[in-house]
Amino acid sequence: MLITKLKDREEIISFFDLRPFVFKCFGCKEVYFPEEEVDRLIEDNRNKITGIARVDYLCREEFSKVYIEKVSLEIERSGGVVVFSCGVGVQVIAKLLEEKKVLAGCDTYYLNGFQGLSVQDFNCQQCGECYLNYTGGICPITACSKGLLNGPCGGAKNGKCEVNPEMDCGWELIYKRLKKIGKEEILKKKKVLVRDYRRIITEKPVVKE
Amino acid sequence: MSEIDYTKYRLKPESEIRETFKEVSSIFIISCKKCYKEFEIEAEPEYDKLLELLGEERSKISGCAEFDFLCNSYLTKKKLTDLDISNVETIGVISCGIGVQFVAQELEGKRVLTLCDSVPQSGNATSVTGYHGISLGLEKCAGCGQCYLNITGGICPVIDCAKGLLNGPCGGAKNGKCEVDPQVDCAWEKIYLRLKGQGRNLPGEVKLRDYGKFKVDERNRISLFTQTRRMQNFYGGLYPLERKEETENLSIEAFPEPEHVVVFLSQHTGSPAHSLVKPGSMVKMGQKIGESSGLISASIHASISGKVLSIEERIHPSLLKPSLAIIIENDGLNSVDSSVEPVSDLENVSKESLLELLKEKGIVGLGGAMFPTHVKLCPPKPVDTLVVNGCECEPYLSADNRVMIEHPDSILKGIKIVQKILEAKNIIIGVEENKSGAIGKLKGLDSSPDVTVASLKTKYPQGAEKMLVKKLLDRQVPEGGLPLDVGVVVLNVSTILAIYQAIYEGLPLIQRVITISGEGLKRKGNFLIRIGTPIEDIIDLCFDGNREKFLEEYQIKMGGPMMGILQEDLNSAVIKGTTGFTILRKYPVEVSEERECIKCGRCVEVCPMELYPLYYAYYGKKEMWEEALKYNVENCIECGCCDYICSSKINLLSFIKKAKRYAYNKAKG
Amino acid sequence: MTRLKEALESKKFVVTGEIGPPKGVNVESCLEEAEKYLKGKVAAVNVTDIQSAVMRVGSLAISKKLLEMDIEPVFQMTCRDRNRLALESDLLSAYVLGIRNVLALTGDYVTLGDHPQSKPVFDLDSVSLLKAMKDLESGKDLAGNELDGAPSFFKGAVVTPCADPLEPQVMKMEKKIFAGAEFFQTQAVYDIGLFEKFIKEVSHLKVPILAGIVLLKSAGMAKFMNENVSGVFVPDELIKEMSVPKEDRRKKSVEIAARLIKQMKDMCQGVHLMPLGWDKEVPNVIESAGL
Repeated sequence: MLITKLKDREEIISFFDLRPFVFKCFGCKEVYFPEEEVDRLIEDNRNKITGIARVDYLCREEFSKVYIEKVSLEIERSGGVVVFSCGVGVQVIAKLLEEKKVLAGCDTYYLNGFQGLSVQDFNCQQCGECYLNYTGGICPITACSKGLLNGPCGGAKNGKCEVNPEMDCGWELIYKRLKKIGKEEILKKKKVLVRDYRRIITEKPVVKE
Repeated sequence: MSEIDYTKYRLKPESEIRETFKEVSSIFIISCKKCYKEFEIEAEPEYDKLLELLGEERSKISGCAEFDFLCNSYLTKKKLTDLDISNVETIGVISCGIGVQFVAQELEGKRVLTLCDSVPQSGNATSVTGYHGISLGLEKCAGCGQCYLNITGGICPVIDCAKGLLNGPCGGAKNGKCEVDPQVDCAWEKIYLRLKGQGRNLPGEVKLRDYGKFKVDERNRISLFTQTRRMQNFYGGLYPLERKEETENLSIEAFPEPEHVVVFLSQHTGSPAHSLVKPGSMVKMGQKIGESSGLISASIHASISGKVLSIEERIHPSLLKPSLAIIIENDGLNSVDSSVEPVSDLENVSKESLLELLKEKGIVGLGGAMFPTHVKLCPPKPVDTLVVNGCECEPYLSADNRVMIEHPDSILKGIKIVQKILEAKNIIIGVEENKSGAIGKLKGLDSSPDVTVASLKTKYPQGAEKMLVKKLLDRQVPEGGLPLDVGVVVLNVSTILAIYQAIYEGLPLIQRVITISGEGLKRKGNFLIRIGTPIEDIIDLCFDGNREKFLEEYQIKMGGPMMGILQEDLNSAVIKGTTGFTILRKYPVEVSEERECIKCGRCVEVCPMELYPLYYAYYGKKEMWEEALKYNVENCIECGCCDYICSSKINLLSFIKKAKRYAYNKAKG
Repeated sequence: MTRLKEALESKKFVVTGEIGPPKGVNVESCLEEAEKYLKGKVAAVNVTDIQSAVMRVGSLAISKKLLEMDIEPVFQMTCRDRNRLALESDLLSAYVLGIRNVLALTGDYVTLGDHPQSKPVFDLDSVSLLKAMKDLESGKDLAGNELDGAPSFFKGAVVTPCADPLEPQVMKMEKKIFAGAEFFQTQAVYDIGLFEKFIKEVSHLKVPILAGIVLLKSAGMAKFMNENVSGVFVPDELIKEMSVPKEDRRKKSVEIAARLIKQMKDMCQGVHLMPLGWDKEVPNVIESAGL
């Protein structure tokens, strides 16, 4: 799940000096996108842009191609293209408009849950070696601030994480969950877990042409 | 165009699965049907692979259940309670880490095991994972919170460089290929070439990443905010930009009298009326000119006085097919028919006479469905609550809002009439909180204590009857049922006003308040308009632009942008169910060409009726309607959320309508 | 064999001390204090590793300095800011420099320190770091590659004896022992009852435990620790006891520490003194405790 926040106002305003064309993606719609803030910003600088395209799912390259075709004249006349979208949308436009200066109007952050799908209480970092069987179905990589695999760091206070006291200690949750199902001996297993980061680096997604 | 299969899990290695199975004596399998991939109905292969791999051990599997979008916590929770697994101790889950974690939480007393590893989508030194957008494209974003794309020509150094370097290439590339993976292009070489092509230089400034930029609590706060909003009032739904400000403060004004009106004979649910007049007849305003003999029927009246020019077929604005209409030429006299007389001695009028009057005056539901009101108010089951629907959750529309602000007393009187007919104990007026003016007016009424005004959080489609009943009374309208089944009758505020006018003024339903709003207009507002006013008149009065090019550059929807019906024939006209007209610019970037479903699951997330709209499109394209019916298509309220959100721009609603028609014809035999 | 190991094996009640390297290169006063107050009085001196995630001189350098002064160091290592390559390499370096006692910790999180922007590493954790040491001792690195010459360490770890719930701590302690831990130093102990309970819980684990003693500086500090520091519980009586005029606090603090040590003497194999700047008082504590 990606969400966006506007970059510093001053930085964005400096983009308008280019006399740019603007793409505004309201893509994932109901998720979290500063749509009205963007509207206001553009409204204030209306005379400094050659045009604006209000689009959705900019990340979908086939759609973006069509969008670009339809506004090609305005883009041609512009000194650059400012994209208000997540980092994916910006990259798609930059790729399709290789000759143009393409600028991102937003910073992108990620939220719990997988990309695109809804915001979740749970998070999965796609580590490629699921540890949930050792931990009663609570992910030690995401539920523990330090991503520890072999037990709590000992820094929790009243069940709360030392890094962020608003967060429960992941390992305490794991311990309680395992205790509930009578499997706390899993924690005693004489096995030292060490992550294999190769899994995330060498893994290649399946590309379909 | 290359697309990635973003399948997020695969079975764990055989040895690990064997070890897992050694420890258990019996296991129930829950598997997820994946997302972000080509949408295919065939079962996912993992389960069969598991069986194959297990050999003899497969006898330990006590059962199996498949889920669509296992991580959809709301729907999965419901389905899990339906599963008969009370005696099961161990659950094996085939899904990504999110699905497993959710099942483990929901079935906390059971041992939940994962049989899969999540498949990393990307990764390098600085970003454990790259997140793709909603589509299946190749670009990814690490969500680092400090976008560098502006200095790198739109190529992400965080994701594309194996080392995530921010200040230039490491020097390890050979022939343009990365030293970490020779199949991958060196990101910094790509950046260099892209910038060079644009006459730009590599960034000079030294960049340092701020890993602490986005605080965990902030992320959690936003997560919670988004989740809460999504579950607010009811599951699913949307928050489209409301754009109510365009018209909400504009008082109701009279729309100029049309030179002629087009009064359709089909203006209610049920069989169309037949004409009582002939071409050449002179009619008076309020005169009954159409009548239907069916059980579910409502009369039709002349909305102006004048001469009947013809009875001819016009494109019906809601049915979108030729339908008979009486064309009346306005004589400009507005001579009123003698039947337009208030009811005398209201106190002593019987319930039956009131119902007869409503039928005679042609009162139907004005929210859009046009169900004859006298039938609705004569329920075959006991009713204890009347809900007055003042939600008006469609963007742009504010006619109901103005009716509530300007005619609160009439509404109260109208309610009293309905109360008398229904003998309902409770009366609730539900209004979305974005209409604070209306709420204030209604609350300020000197009403009897049994009328309450409920302010509801704004969310589309809160105005749908089932959502409203659920939220206001916490009663669940059964699948395929009506509010009536839970003792509730729902009437729109404008219908209440029409009832008031029929009884107190003797006025048949010949006019109503509609909103005209949108883009490219010189006039917007809330208009009291005659039924039968041609759409052309509206364009003439309100549109600000080249009239010739209107249909080329603009689209006009009867209703709001969500549920509104696209009008392509401007010879059509206002009917009783017209809530307004929304005129929107056809954006140069309106992509109508639909794409293959990528199973993103958004339509399921937003469906307030908790349906799986993607299946309607899938089976609809193959015309396998029987299969579509298995997914409860008859429960769809056609709110359009799925259509609106679809990331492949599939016109889901059209498939739904076809499936419903199939179901209807099948039921009829 | 290190002096620390020797002392523990001789069943003597062992005392260890602790110093924190400075932020900057002026290390003289830090070393002077060690010379004055710790040398000859404690079996070994822990050198903290970027304590509280506040950037400063490294543990390895100060450990080496102590060695040169004939003070035996306990080289503390955290996993916060080095990946396994750096950790293993530093372990080899430490051995080459003559350092033998190593204490493995996970480490405070980066956002708690003075470089909240930095990338938290945690490639390994305390348990896997112990395993790494054990692997190196066996002549192989974590990835299984042969070493040209294997080191040997006296491997320590930490435990929080007054944590609530205690069980996960005990479980992890067992895991640490499995991974190679040979001695434990604990988080600060103020509540003898809780400590006794802990000792009973771990009586089956045959490893020496050095109870942590942090000198209380004021009643306010005690309250602060109760509220903010994990696994630390200062009983009300002690807080009351510390509520004395400023000039009497040091004396009182020493008195309390000495009393705690006396009470714990039969429960564990030693104490680890963390004076937090009051290094001067270390000899007084040792003396008052009758060690």
